[in-house]
Amino acid sequence: MAREEVESEVTGTVWKIETKVGDKVAEGDVLMIIESMKMEIPVLATEDGTIAEFQVEEKEPVAEGQTVVVLET
Amino acid sequence: MAHDDLQDEYKKRRARALAMGGEAKLERRRNAGVLNVRERIDYLLDAGTFIESGLFATSLYPGDKDKTPADGKITGYGRIDGREAAIVANDFTVKGASSAGTNMKKISHMQRTSKERGIPMVYLGESSGARIPDNMGAIGMGTLLGGNASQYARLRECPWASAILGMSYGSATWYGCMADFNVMRKGSIMAVSSERLVSMAIGEKVDPEELGGWRLHSDVTGLIDMAVDTDEEAIDAIKSFLSYMPSHNEEMPPLKAVPNGSDDSARDVASLVPESRTQVYDMRKVIRAVVDKDSYFELKPRFGRTAVTALARIDGQVVGIVGNNPLSKAGAMDAMACDKITSFMVLCDSYNIPLAFFVDNPGFVIGLEAERQKAPGKIINFMNALQLVTVPKLTIMLRKNYGQAYINMAGGQNAADVAAWLTAEVSFMDPTFAVNVVHGSEGTRLEESDPERFKREFETFQKDNSVWDLAATYAVQQIIPPEETRTWLIRMLDVHRNRRTGGLGQHRLHNWPTSY
Repeated sequence: MAREEVESEVTGTVWKIETKVGDKVAEGDVLMIIESMKMEIPVLATEDGTIAEFQVEEKEPVAEGQTVVVLET
Repeated sequence: MAHDDLQDEYKKRRARALAMGGEAKLERRRNAGVLNVRERIDYLLDAGTFIESGLFATSLYPGDKDKTPADGKITGYGRIDGREAAIVANDFTVKGASSAGTNMKKISHMQRTSKERGIPMVYLGESSGARIPDNMGAIGMGTLLGGNASQYARLRECPWASAILGMSYGSATWYGCMADFNVMRKGSIMAVSSERLVSMAIGEKVDPEELGGWRLHSDVTGLIDMAVDTDEEAIDAIKSFLSYMPSHNEEMPPLKAVPNGSDDSARDVASLVPESRTQVYDMRKVIRAVVDKDSYFELKPRFGRTAVTALARIDGQVVGIVGNNPLSKAGAMDAMACDKITSFMVLCDSYNIPLAFFVDNPGFVIGLEAERQKAPGKIINFMNALQLVTVPKLTIMLRKNYGQAYINMAGGQNAADVAAWLTAEVSFMDPTFAVNVVHGSEGTRLEESDPERFKREFETFQKDNSVWDLAATYAVQQIIPPEETRTWLIRMLDVHRNRRTGGLGQHRLHNWPTSY
């Protein structure tokens, strides 16, 4: 088991988290949606795995490159 | 010597050469689930077509003659899907496939045949670097290295495909980086020097994956085009890549039959794009729906993800697709996306492959990080390459198209013809920001300080961005409903065929650097 840190590609605000800790996800699945540049930008799973941890909550600001989710792969 | 004795001698020497670096090393590979070099060649080539060049070559270094079957690099000619290719395949079980006098001659010989006869080069890479002690000292260096003035002069006369299939330092790394297509088996390492040498040099333990693993090269450096799980998948990827390529730059890529059902998904393509302009979607699905069924072959999928570059076929003809991908950063192109698109245009222009641009982007990424990544240089490098391209370029505007990115994504006269969907919107800047630049004041956003005025001004700006005004200026030649995208491309590829040259372009990008 390896820890894979998933980063936000954009600076913005966490708009919706529609997954939860323990969910199994495949590479490319939407983990949460960030509102940025007036757009709804998804954070996608970078590899197949299980959601181990969220490092942000809804409405919270995030910076580009900030880790928002940790996957167990 | 009697004929029988000669035959025996031949058989004995042949068996010794084919035994590679010995049973113990071969067994270790088998246990690790890794093919040996001769199994790799068998898997790559049409059965029975391999004619080996230099089976009896060995090292001439004192004492090494009997320990270096084929001198650690297997070379020869073979057919891939019926077409000849020149092969260089490294045998890591023989002195780590290190580079030395005899095997360097073998590589040059393959490169010479490839160039002169117009057949692709395939490199199956796994190498430890220059052989020691052969290359040591001033005599070693002076004798062995630097003796070939064209070894690294990449002029793209013929396609080069490479697979990184193990520890790769020196030779395999160089040829991988120079190749038109470079696939890596996960677990392999591609780097200048081994982690052992690096750790010794800097006095700190280095993690090989961090030094040159697949994640580094697929996500950060872009030096590989694809990462796969097994040797077989890597070799299959090489075969697929070559199926889109001509054997050399003076012929067209092969035509293929159009699979049944290729028109079906193109009819529903509008359903893949959300109606709301604030929602994103995956451009790769749109491209897959438009091109011939199962013909989509994406390059560098994890690098510069705001852009998509893929080889595909449309009506049986090979086409290079460049797309923005709104799924990543709304499709705003960053420095990595610029590099990825530029190198893809170089590939397509070098091998007579027409280009189609699928456009939906809010502009280039701006900001401090973008400038640090040389965004201005990357954007104009991309633009420079675009204007040097001589294969036909076709553009389809799906949705947003703003600022300099409009020009880079083959807008205006940068394409042979431009079509726009009804949802296309074009301007210098997204109306949200334009309203603030013109009507806002520094430090406040009009949508917050005066939402009603914002709405009014936004609507005015947005109306002026419509596809109708763009068509009125003749900057787009056709407005098409999404379901006609495929038929438009098929027709336009025919209209814009380079008839005077039988389809060939001028290859003005053929000596563009392979990484920059």
